[in-house]
Amino acid sequence: MAKSSLDLLLKGSSGQNTRGLLRIVILLTIAAAAVASRLFSVIRFESIIHEFDPWFNFRATKYLVENGFYSFWDWFDDRTWHPLGRVTGGTLYPGLMVTSGVIYHILRFLTIPVDIRNVCVLLAPGFSGLTALAMYLLTCEMSTSPSAGLLAAAFMGITPGYISRSVAGSYDNEAIAIFLLVFTFYLWIKAVKNGSIMWGALAALFYGYMVSAWGGYVFITNLIPLHVFVLLCMGRYSSRTYIAYTTWYALGTLGSMQIPFVGFLPIRNSDHMAALGVFGLLQLVAFAEFVRGFLPGKQFQKLLTSMVLLTFGLGFAGLVLLTVSGVIAPWSGRFYSLWDTGYAKIHIPIIASVSEHQPTAWPAFFFDLNFLIWLFPAGVFLCFQKLKDEHVFVIIYAVLSSYFAGVMVRLMLTLTPVVCVAAALALSAVLDHFLVLSKPSPESQAKANAVDAKSYQGMKSPIVGIYSHFSKAFVSGSMTLYLLIFVAHCTWVTSNAYSSPSVVLASRAPDGSQMIIDDYREAYYWLRQNTPDNAKIMSWWDYGYQIGGMADRPTLVDNNTWNNTHIATVGKAMSSREEVSYPILRQHDVDYVLVVFGGLLGYSGDDLNKFLWMVRIAEGIWPDEVKERDFFTARGEYRVDEEATPTMKNSLMYKMSYYNYQSLFPSGQAVDRVRGVRLPAESPQLNTLEEAFTSENWIIRIFKVKDLDNLGREHSNAVAFDKGLKRKRASKERALAF
Amino acid sequence: MRFFTATVLGLLVPSLAAASNLSSATQLAVPADFKPPQVFKNTNLVRNTNLEKGYVRETINVVVENIDKQSQSDYYIPFPVDVFDRVGGFEVRDKKSTDEGRFEVDITEPVSSSGTQYFVVHLAEPLAPKAQITLGISYSVLKSLTPRPAVIQQNEKQYLTYSFSAYVPSAYQTVTQKTKLKFPSTDVPDFTETSGLKTGADPERKGATYTYGPYETAKVAPGTEQPITVRYQFTNPVITASLLERDLEVSHWGGNLATEERYWVRNNASELANQFSRVEWTFASYQKAPTSAVREIAYPLLPGSVDPYFIDDIGNVSTSRYRPGNGKTAANLELKPRYPIFGGWNYSFKVGWNNDLSQFLRKVAGGDSYILRVPFLQGPKMNEGLQYERVVIRVILPEGAHNVRYETVEGANSNGLPGANQINASLSSFKTYMDTLGRTTLTLEVDSLTDEARNAELLVTYDHTLMDTLRKPLTIFGGLLTVFVATWFIGSIDTTIKKR
Repeated sequence: MAKSSLDLLLKGSSGQNTRGLLRIVILLTIAAAAVASRLFSVIRFESIIHEFDPWFNFRATKYLVENGFYSFWDWFDDRTWHPLGRVTGGTLYPGLMVTSGVIYHILRFLTIPVDIRNVCVLLAPGFSGLTALAMYLLTCEMSTSPSAGLLAAAFMGITPGYISRSVAGSYDNEAIAIFLLVFTFYLWIKAVKNGSIMWGALAALFYGYMVSAWGGYVFITNLIPLHVFVLLCMGRYSSRTYIAYTTWYALGTLGSMQIPFVGFLPIRNSDHMAALGVFGLLQLVAFAEFVRGFLPGKQFQKLLTSMVLLTFGLGFAGLVLLTVSGVIAPWSGRFYSLWDTGYAKIHIPIIASVSEHQPTAWPAFFFDLNFLIWLFPAGVFLCFQKLKDEHVFVIIYAVLSSYFAGVMVRLMLTLTPVVCVAAALALSAVLDHFLVLSKPSPESQAKANAVDAKSYQGMKSPIVGIYSHFSKAFVSGSMTLYLLIFVAHCTWVTSNAYSSPSVVLASRAPDGSQMIIDDYREAYYWLRQNTPDNAKIMSWWDYGYQIGGMADRPTLVDNNTWNNTHIATVGKAMSSREEVSYPILRQHDVDYVLVVFGGLLGYSGDDLNKFLWMVRIAEGIWPDEVKERDFFTARGEYRVDEEATPTMKNSLMYKMSYYNYQSLFPSGQAVDRVRGVRLPAESPQLNTLEEAFTSENWIIRIFKVKDLDNLGREHSNAVAFDKGLKRKRASKERALAF
Repeated sequence: MRFFTATVLGLLVPSLAAASNLSSATQLAVPADFKPPQVFKNTNLVRNTNLEKGYVRETINVVVENIDKQSQSDYYIPFPVDVFDRVGGFEVRDKKSTDEGRFEVDITEPVSSSGTQYFVVHLAEPLAPKAQITLGISYSVLKSLTPRPAVIQQNEKQYLTYSFSAYVPSAYQTVTQKTKLKFPSTDVPDFTETSGLKTGADPERKGATYTYGPYETAKVAPGTEQPITVRYQFTNPVITASLLERDLEVSHWGGNLATEERYWVRNNASELANQFSRVEWTFASYQKAPTSAVREIAYPLLPGSVDPYFIDDIGNVSTSRYRPGNGKTAANLELKPRYPIFGGWNYSFKVGWNNDLSQFLRKVAGGDSYILRVPFLQGPKMNEGLQYERVVIRVILPEGAHNVRYETVEGANSNGLPGANQINASLSSFKTYMDTLGRTTLTLEVDSLTDEARNAELLVTYDHTLMDTLRKPLTIFGGLLTVFVATWFIGSIDTTIKKR
């Protein structure tokens, strides 16, 4: 009885409705899970913007919300890159800020009192919920199995490879870009399948949005033409492909050119030439198809061959000519570093110095994707089996992104969607076969045999069924186990690896309670409250965005890194002797110098550990004045203790880091807990700077640049003179005491 | 949605009736060479100056006699123009019957010829000729203490100086007068010793209390000055809030009173001679040495306060601690600023918490009127005191509240607030949480307050009808209905090009 009523519910038209509703409920639950799993940091810490780049995005969003869209578009920021400034409005991808600005204004229109910070913090989790939905749509295009889409959505929702860039507070371009990437691909597949101008135009629209949001749009710009190119090579030209591609390319390129930062790149940059070339090729192929209808085969062959040769020759010559004459920009350095992982280290140390630009370590794949990584090839194999247009797309995507993910850690992000698709395809195929309780019935077998007998094709693939309950139970049981482990792994990774704001550090007090180490904000807030509004802060570029966002003070260099020389100047000031550094500081109007020092707490991400990059970058510009070799001992060791080289000991960075540090310890017992060494007994002497502020755990140290001496002396002489006086006074006091 | 509902519902709603007792501070116009009529005589005057906190607290008890032929009711109290603005919580009572509350006080415009400005005390009943009355005048003077030396080492003791006139400034003849100074400690390295004003040593010293006078000043013209400067140890912060914004949000639906306070604090203590040294500060903190820096701010909350937060412009200040009271006892919020606030340093922050509304709100029986009784000012409670240059209090009443009135609760003792006519009050509308009309907001602005106003209470009465309560659910219902109908309508339009 119960079974029949269940049948009533699940079969027929009402069953369809029930299943549709169920599917919506499941999708919403997946979206909710995707959002919820990203909230660790908000619950554990607070609603705060994370890390470095998000602070700039947050600052820009605040500027947008406060000053309106047009002044944001024209924003020249004189509080960064002092004294050069930055044409911020024209050098950023505005999609992220505009998105949160729009959300903010809608909420404000409904008079919901929401803080722009909370909009920014929760934007990434919100959009990852949408990504899960987009992933469902994309995968449903790939497979007829109803479970594949839901599995892919669930994978996408919680896989750490995506969570790493989209936890609450990680307010970066990737937060919305991955959603746009997946959704654009979905629309593209739709367009190719239907040959519809509408879907093509929608794909172009979302491509335009993607361009406005992330520099990674180049990936789409190259992947879609490649897809079309491969289809052409496979002899799969169709009017559907033609309509979809030409619509997408024409509208999408126009759309992308509306972004000032992109501008004319789509027609002048090598990165975008593939799309243009395929566009031309497609016209030729379409023309050839058209001509074929009118010419006999032999003549057509001749015409085709000569035309292909001519076009290729002309096109290539034109490309070379334009590149040489400079109309088309050659490949950028970042692009080269994609092919040669050692390229950046030699030619552009500033790119190599970023940890997320390093090649990916093998365990990272398993760490970020867990069991999806071994289901992935299986899924790609299944795509080969069907090999429709959309499966070709998945295969190309899989190959390209696997390579890129291997080259650069951060490109793991573009790999994740295709891994989810492929893994879901594989897993759904397995589950569809093994989760069915009933055995293949003799009738269906017979029917299948009858079909087999008719066609030769059927002989190659005889009907195979799984009969044993044990194997069904075993396989589905082990798959369930894998899925459960996957969830546990994702939760663990998210909670432990990806949910730290890195602005606020957590540690445990001896009694087990959580202790918050809040030195960054302590120092930044001190700067914000107690220094003049236009006091220039010099620090290594990592902290530029944070200083701009939290301390609201002008900086010399920041994470935008658009001017290598300026960064090298800071590197030189940090790595040179005081006599060399002081004129540099004066010339750049520096009021305060900020360094990060982890020696007291054992915080390893401090400036002394990054110091060699400063040296290298400075050496790139001034090879005669800064030499990396001088910072290593004769035995090639990087040391900070008694054995450190004189160059090291005299460098401004070394002096600032250890200034006055020794006085915290009994004489001669000063220990650097990061590098695990005992320091010299004498504290370094600073002549041209004075300590202005040191945070509670010494992580941030701020030094004030002294003004020129009133009596026109060298600072070192003035300090020595003051010392002498003090010493005399001290002895006098002692005499009195006796 | 907002426009739609605003136009529909706007018609149904009585407009915000201007409440009757909202006023803004006005100054009495006086001629440029104004001098108060010499109709009174101070027969005896005792001034108590308390220097134990970061501001000066003075109470003057004066016996006033009418020497005119007619009854008089206006007693003038002069202050130099530059001091006048820094006088806070000015209050005058009849010393014999303090229960009857304060006298009404007006202020005059600055008188340019003499550089003074007057408080005009309106006695409750005109004083008959030859009759006497004892006035108790109390007020505090903000920012009148100067650290000397202005810059000190981080661990040094801090000294403040205070300058005043041994002859109490008065508009009238004073027969005898004296001034008692109360210092925070006996460490008073410098003080002016007068000569020839009285017999014997002047001042008389007894522990931490110094007494100047009594002086026989019947012959001395009113307004004569005898400058005195004292310099005393005060190794405590001089905390000044340049602005305090205090919001009290009443929610009938939520049964909640949400309080948020935004402080802009500055420490007016001696500045650091050298830059800040973390090493010295760490060692001093271990020893709990007295310091002129703000290390921690103790902030008692009312019993039953929940969900406290302490944030500043860049997020949560993780160093705070909350000790909830057990129902009866006060909860305590221990705020530790991100960094110690030394002399000349600033710090701005927000604190907020929630309370159960039923503790504060009472419905008047048989009507739509409500009475809200809330603390006028809460603020930190510190030994060294706290002065507010400007306080803006917003009481955000429920949407549609009208006929708003307010008063401050007067007790037998001073509540630290100035008279009602020196509080700027205004009504406005504040939109939040899907309001259509906006919530009626009572804004009270007061200049120059001290933490003595901590015990003051504010009474707000207003009317709020059932229709006002139901407006929001109806609005949301109407809005959603509009959305659904619009969706259905748009969805049912056929936009296909070719016939299917």
